[in-house]
Amino acid sequence: MKKVQVCCIIDDDPIFIYGTKRIIKEVDFAENIIVYNNGQEAVDGLKEIINEGGFLPEVIFLDLNMPIMNGWEFLEEYKNCQYDISKKTTIYIISSSVDPRDLERVKHYNEVDMYILKPITPDDLGKILSSTTV
Amino acid sequence: MKTLATDFLLKESPNAIAIVDTKLNFINYSNQWQSDFTPNKTDIIGKHLFDVISEMPILFNNAIKVGLTDKENINAGQKFILPSGKVQWLKWKISPIRNDINILEGLVIYLEDITADKRELELLQTAETVAKIGGWEVDLQKNSLYWTKTTKDIHEVPEDFIPDLAQGINFYKEGIHREKITELVSAAIEEGKPWDTELIIITAKGNEIWVRAKGEVEAVNDKPIRIIGTFQDIDERKKIELAHEEISERLKLATQTSQIGIWEYDLIANELIWDNAMYNIFGVDENQFAGVFEAWESTIHPDDKEKALKATNDAIIGVKDFDEEFRIKLQNGEVKYIKGLSKTIRDLKGKPIKMTGANWDITMLRSTELKLERSTESFTETFDNAAIGMALISPELKWLKVNKSLLTSLGYSEKELLGMRTTDITHPDDLESSTKTVFNGVKDTYQLQKRYFHKNGHIVYAIIGVTPVKDLDGNPSHAIAQFLDITDRIEGEKRLETLVEVTKSQNDSLLNFAHIVSHNLRSHSTNMTMLAKFLSQEEDEKELKNINRMITDAAESLSETIAHLNDVVQVKTGALKNLQSISVLNTIEQIKKSIGGLLEKQEAIIKIDIKNSHFVNAVPAYLESIFLNILTNALKYSSPDRTPLIEIKSQLKKETVLISFKDNGQGIDLKRHGDKIFGMYKTFHKHKDAKGIGLFITKNQIEAMGGSIKIESVVDQGTTIFIELNKI
Repeated sequence: MKKVQVCCIIDDDPIFIYGTKRIIKEVDFAENIIVYNNGQEAVDGLKEIINEGGFLPEVIFLDLNMPIMNGWEFLEEYKNCQYDISKKTTIYIISSSVDPRDLERVKHYNEVDMYILKPITPDDLGKILSSTTV
Repeated sequence: MKTLATDFLLKESPNAIAIVDTKLNFINYSNQWQSDFTPNKTDIIGKHLFDVISEMPILFNNAIKVGLTDKENINAGQKFILPSGKVQWLKWKISPIRNDINILEGLVIYLEDITADKRELELLQTAETVAKIGGWEVDLQKNSLYWTKTTKDIHEVPEDFIPDLAQGINFYKEGIHREKITELVSAAIEEGKPWDTELIIITAKGNEIWVRAKGEVEAVNDKPIRIIGTFQDIDERKKIELAHEEISERLKLATQTSQIGIWEYDLIANELIWDNAMYNIFGVDENQFAGVFEAWESTIHPDDKEKALKATNDAIIGVKDFDEEFRIKLQNGEVKYIKGLSKTIRDLKGKPIKMTGANWDITMLRSTELKLERSTESFTETFDNAAIGMALISPELKWLKVNKSLLTSLGYSEKELLGMRTTDITHPDDLESSTKTVFNGVKDTYQLQKRYFHKNGHIVYAIIGVTPVKDLDGNPSHAIAQFLDITDRIEGEKRLETLVEVTKSQNDSLLNFAHIVSHNLRSHSTNMTMLAKFLSQEEDEKELKNINRMITDAAESLSETIAHLNDVVQVKTGALKNLQSISVLNTIEQIKKSIGGLLEKQEAIIKIDIKNSHFVNAVPAYLESIFLNILTNALKYSSPDRTPLIEIKSQLKKETVLISFKDNGQGIDLKRHGDKIFGMYKTFHKHKDAKGIGLFITKNQIEAMGGSIKIESVVDQGTTIFIELNKI
C-alpha cells in the first residue's frame, strides 16, 4: 500500500492532534504531517506552500468547531481559492458533532469526501488510504 | 253814402264793423262792434278809435296806419299776447274809403275776436297729440279720406301725406286685422253701424302697433255721406294688457296644476270668494258654500281653530300677515294639513277692507316629514346607543357626528373629535387607503382594517365599514362609518405571536444547547477514550507520563465544560424569581474594584458616567456576571497599540435603562461574525483564554431578565456593547 505524501490536520484540540498523529504513524498513513490550529492558520499556511511551490497535502483532516475560523468558514475559503487546481486533495471532516444539521450541511461541499466522527481510528485511515490509491 | 239803407245794413251786420274818419274818430259802427269792442255800450260816434278799444296789439295799430296811407290790410286770424298777458286771437280787414273825387275819407274796420274758437281748437289739437288720438274722416260722396296730423303721426307718414280709403285699410296688418276693419267699415256703410275696435297696423316705417279705431256714420236721409272717427295709439297699454293676460293665464295654470287655492274676502261685506282649487282642497261643494267667513271657519279642525282665528285676527288688525299651517276636517272625516298665506288690503286711512290669500294642501309633506322624523329618531337612537363606534363623515373627511362607543375607543371628547378630520388621527401607513373613499368615486361601500391613534398615543385597531349617503343629485353628501374596535384582539394576537416567537426561539436555543452539550461532552470523552487506549499500549515511560498529563487535562476540560453547561442551564431555568432593584452605578463600582489588579496591570482607564438614580430590575449575581464579563472581554481583547480605555454610560429610556460599554480594543468583524457573536463556544480572537462561553452566558442572562444586548464594532478601533434592562 502506497502511503500519502503530505497529510494535513486542522484542529484546535491538542489531545486530538496528538492522538491522530500517533495513529498516522502507527498505520504508516503519511510521510509528512502538517498541523494548523484553526481555519485561518490553514488558509495562510496553504497559501504559503503554493507560493513557494511546495507539496500540497493530498489529505486534509478538518475539524468543524475551532476559534477564529471554523471548519465551515475554511471550506468557503477553500472553495473560492486556487487550490482547486490540485484535484488530488481530499478533505475529511473529523468532528465530535452528531448534529444532523452538520451532517446535512457537509453534503453541499463536493470538496468533502467523508464525515468521520471523532475519534479517528486506524481502520478509518486504512479505508482512506485504499480509496485514494485506487 | 250815409243813406238809411246802408246805415241799416251796417248796424245789423252780424260782424263787428266800424267806420272811422281820417282822424280815426267813429263815424258809424255795427251793433256787433258795439257789443264786441265797446265795453260800456254807449254811443261812440265822434269818439276816437283808440279811446274806445284801449288794448290792441301793435300790429293792429300799424294796420290802421297802413290803412291811412290808402292801402288795404287784411289779417286772416292771428294769435296775440297783449301787454296785459291776455291771449287774444284777432282777425281783421281794414279798407280805406274814398269819396267821389277819390280822396281818402276814412277807414272801414272789420274786426273779429276769434279767441274762443281758436282756444278750443288749440286744446283739441293738444289733446290729440297728448292722447295720441287722431281723427279721420271719409267723405263717401267724394270717396276721399282725411287724416289729422296725429293720425298721420301714428301711421308714421309725413305731414303732407294724402291717404285714400284703400290705403287706409291696407295699413292694417294682413289677416284678421285687415279683415276685421274691412268688415266693420262695410257694415258701417251698409247698416250705419258704428264701431270701436282694437287692431294692429303696420306703420309706414314697418312698426307693428296696436291702435283703437272708432268710427261713426253720418247720414243724410238714411244715406251715409261720411264716416268720422278717431284713431288712437294704444300699443303700450295693449301690450301691458296682453302681458298681464298672459301672466294671469300662467298663474291660473300654475295654481290649477299645483292645486293652490286662491280666495278673496271682503271684510266689509263679509263676502268670501273661492276659486275652484279652494273647493277641491276643502272638499266643499261649490253650491253648498255659504261664501261667508264662518263657512271657512267651520272647516277648521277644532284643535287648530283657536290658532287659525287668532292668526286671522292678527292679519286683520295688522300684527302680522297670515302665514300658518292648520288642519281642516272634511265632511267625510278626513283630516288635511293646509298651509295658508294672506295679505290684508287697506284703504287710504289704513282700515282693512279686504283679504286675499292662497291655501294649499301639505298633508303629503306633513306625513312624509313625520315618517322622516320617526326614521331619524330611530336612526339617532341606534347611532347613540350602538355597541360599535359610529360616525357621520363629511366629504372633507371631517367628523360630523360621533357616538359614545367611538369616543370611548379613541379617547377624545365629542367636542375635540368634531374639530378634527379623520386623517388627523389615522396611522400614517393607513392614510392612503383612507383617502380612497366613497367620496371620490373609487369605492361604493367598503370595509377595511385601519389604525388610528388614541388620544394618549397608542394605536387603535379597527375594522371600518363605510356606506355613502347620496344627495338628490346622486353625489355622496356624507358617509356613515361603522367602527369596530379590535385593538384588544390585535394586541392579544400580538402577544400570542410574541409568545410563539419566544417559545420558538427558546426551543431553537434548547436544541442548539443539546447539540453543543453533546458535542462538547463527546469531544472530551473521545479524547479520554483514545488516550486510555494509548495508555494501555504504551511502554515508553516518558510517553506514558505525557499521556497521563493529557488525560488529566482532558478530565479538567470535561469538568470545566460541565461547569459551563451548569451555568447556562441555571440561567435558562433560574429565570425571574430573584429580580430586584439594583443600582447600576454601585454594581459597576463593585466590579471595577474586583478587577483592580487586572486594570492596574494593563494600565487601563475606566470612565464611568452613570447617574446614581439609575436602577434596573435584575438578578444581582447576573448583573455582576454580565458587567464582569463585558469588562474582562474589553481588557482581554484590548489593542496592544493603545492604552485600554473603557467608557461606561447609562441613559433612561421609556421603560428601560440603556447601559453602554465603549472600548478602544481590537474590535470584531461583525460582517463575518455578527451572526454568532453571542453563540456558544464561538471565539474570534487568538487568545489563550478564549472559550466562547462568556458572551453566550451574558446574552442568556440578560434575556432571562427581560433585557436585550446589542453590539457595534469596528476592527482595530473598538467595540461598543449596549445593554438594555428594565427599570423598576
